[in-house]
Formats: sequence, C-alpha cells, structure tokens
Amino acid sequence: MSVRSQLLKGVLDGCVLAIIEKEPVYGYELSKKLQDAGLEDVSEGTVYPVLLRLQKNGYIHGDMRPSESGPNRKYYFLTEDGREALNELSLEWERIAIPVTSLLRRGDKND
Amino acid sequence: MISSKQLISENNEKRKLLTKENEKYYDDLLLYIRLQMKLSEQQTEEVLMEMLDHLIEGQNEGKTAREIFGDDPKKYADEIVGELPPAKVKKIVPFVSYLTFNLISLLLLINGVTIFVASLFKKVDSTVFPFNSLIQFLVLLTSIGFEIEFIFYLIRKSLFRKHSSKIKDSVAVGISVVLFFSLNIGLPHLIPNFGPSFQFGWIPSIITGVILWLICFWAKKRFKII
Repeated sequence: MSVRSQLLKGVLDGCVLAIIEKEPVYGYELSKKLQDAGLEDVSEGTVYPVLLRLQKNGYIHGDMRPSESGPNRKYYFLTEDGREALNELSLEWERIAIPVTSLLRRGDKND
Repeated sequence: MISSKQLISENNEKRKLLTKENEKYYDDLLLYIRLQMKLSEQQTEEVLMEMLDHLIEGQNEGKTAREIFGDDPKKYADEIVGELPPAKVKKIVPFVSYLTFNLISLLLLINGVTIFVASLFKKVDSTVFPFNSLIQFLVLLTSIGFEIEFIFYLIRKSLFRKHSSKIKDSVAVGISVVLFFSLNIGLPHLIPNFGPSFQFGWIPSIITGVILWLICFWAKKRFKII
C-alpha cells in the first residue's frame, strides 16, 4: 500500500460522512464527489466497504428505492450518531492536522 | 425496501448487460460474497446490487471492473464480507428449523415407502428405537452441514483464479461424498439398539411424513421462510 493510501484510510470515513452531511447521496455519486474533491486515486469501489461500516456503526442509514427508469438507488442519510461522530472527527483532525502540517512543512522555521 | 428475492432476480437480469471481462470479475465477487452463509441476505443483496449498478454506469463510461474495484478482487470481496452485518437469529432459526423438519418429513416418507415395498417380498421388522434414530438423525444433520460447508469452501477457493485445479477439487468432493455415505449408512450397524422401542409400520410413517410435510409447506408460505 502506498503512503498516500495508508494515510487516507484513516480519514476516509470522515470524508464520506462530511459529504453525506451536505446531502444524501448514493454510492456512485459519492465516489464521484470524492474524486471531484481531489481524492482521485481513491478507487471507486472503496466507498462500499466504507458505507457498510458506517451503516453498521449506525452513523448513516441507507434506503434502497426502486426507480421508474434505470437503476435502484440506495441513498444514504446521516443519523444523529453520525453527526456527533463527524463533529468529533473533524475536531480531532484539526488538532492533528495543524501541528503535523507545521512540522512536515520543515525549513521555514525560526530555528 | 426491495426484498432480497426481488434484488436477486433483478441482479440476474442486469448482469447480462456486462461485457465478458466485467462479468467474469463481477460473477466471482458475487459468488464469493453470497457463499458466506452467515451474513444478512438483505444487506448482501443490496450491496451487490449497488456494485452492479455502479459497474454498469462505469462500463458506459468506458471503465473496467478492475479500474473500479481494484486489481485484487479477493481482497476487495474480503473487505465487503468483513463489513457486512451477520444474519439475524430471527431469520436463521426459522430457516434451519424449516430445513430440519422438511428433512424429517422426507425421511418418514422414504422409510414408509421402503417398508411397504420391502414387505411385498419379505417380512419386515418395523421396530423403531427412538434413541438410535435420534443419534442417526443428528449425525445425518451434522454431516449434511459439513458437506455443504466443505463444498462452499472449495468453490470460494476456486474463485478469482485463472487456472483452478478442477481435478483436485472433484477428487476432494468425491472423497467427502463417499465418507458421507459410509458414515450414514454404516453407523446404524455399528451402534447396537438400546432403550425403549415401538412398532412403526409403513402406514403411520407415511401419514406422519405427509402431515409434517404439509405443515412445513404451510409454514413456508405463512412466514415467508424461503
């Protein structure tokens, strides 16, 4: 596994929750949105294990409905637990991201 | 909600839209995931349908299954299996009991017919030792479970490979079937009859068999077991 995909693995759940918070999405749409956000090398299929895990944890719930034309779509909605988990995740992420960013930027320090 | 049955038949139709290469990739995923018997059927079929719809949309844009789900289908399938919720006890108990009672009714019918046919030619002893019968039945049930589990295991193992060793697998199945029959046919001769006994001729055997079968049939319809 590349360094990048290892780093991503831990935060992908949070990214997916953040997208679903904005509006309910279905799998294909979700993978497109992740790629549009700049995570191009997340292979599209990766979203399904993540969606299953988030459902199992009760952070999202999916609703599969038949559509008159084309595919059935299973739309995912954020639950109250999911909102709490997302709040906590984004808080924790900031507490990590800010110091890590400044450490890894190197060089431009006054030392 | 769309029932798992509906999803399965829709899945069968939609798979025809896949290109040969994508179909091979998807079929292996599907079989591998479906052969995990302990998972929630509804959730399994829903995620399989999502993946299929995704693949069809991707295919229309010129993408392959390999590009969408990755180069390692087995690893991907294991990830899905690892995240799928287990089947609920509420679903497993009726299903297993249905199969068990159906098997009992079938055995009673076979027993009745066998005694009847045999009695045309010779005198048949229709004494039943309930404890012996119970042991034989439990062994039969367990060995059926093992046999199914073993065959599913071999199928799962043969997926995702370009060249699976068909001969080796066939030999393994052959040996397991021989073991299955020798165990179930040999056992009654090995355990001496013990405990209480009673007469159970072909008429009561067939009557109880038919009644039990009808109850099973009714329960299946009433509780939508299968």
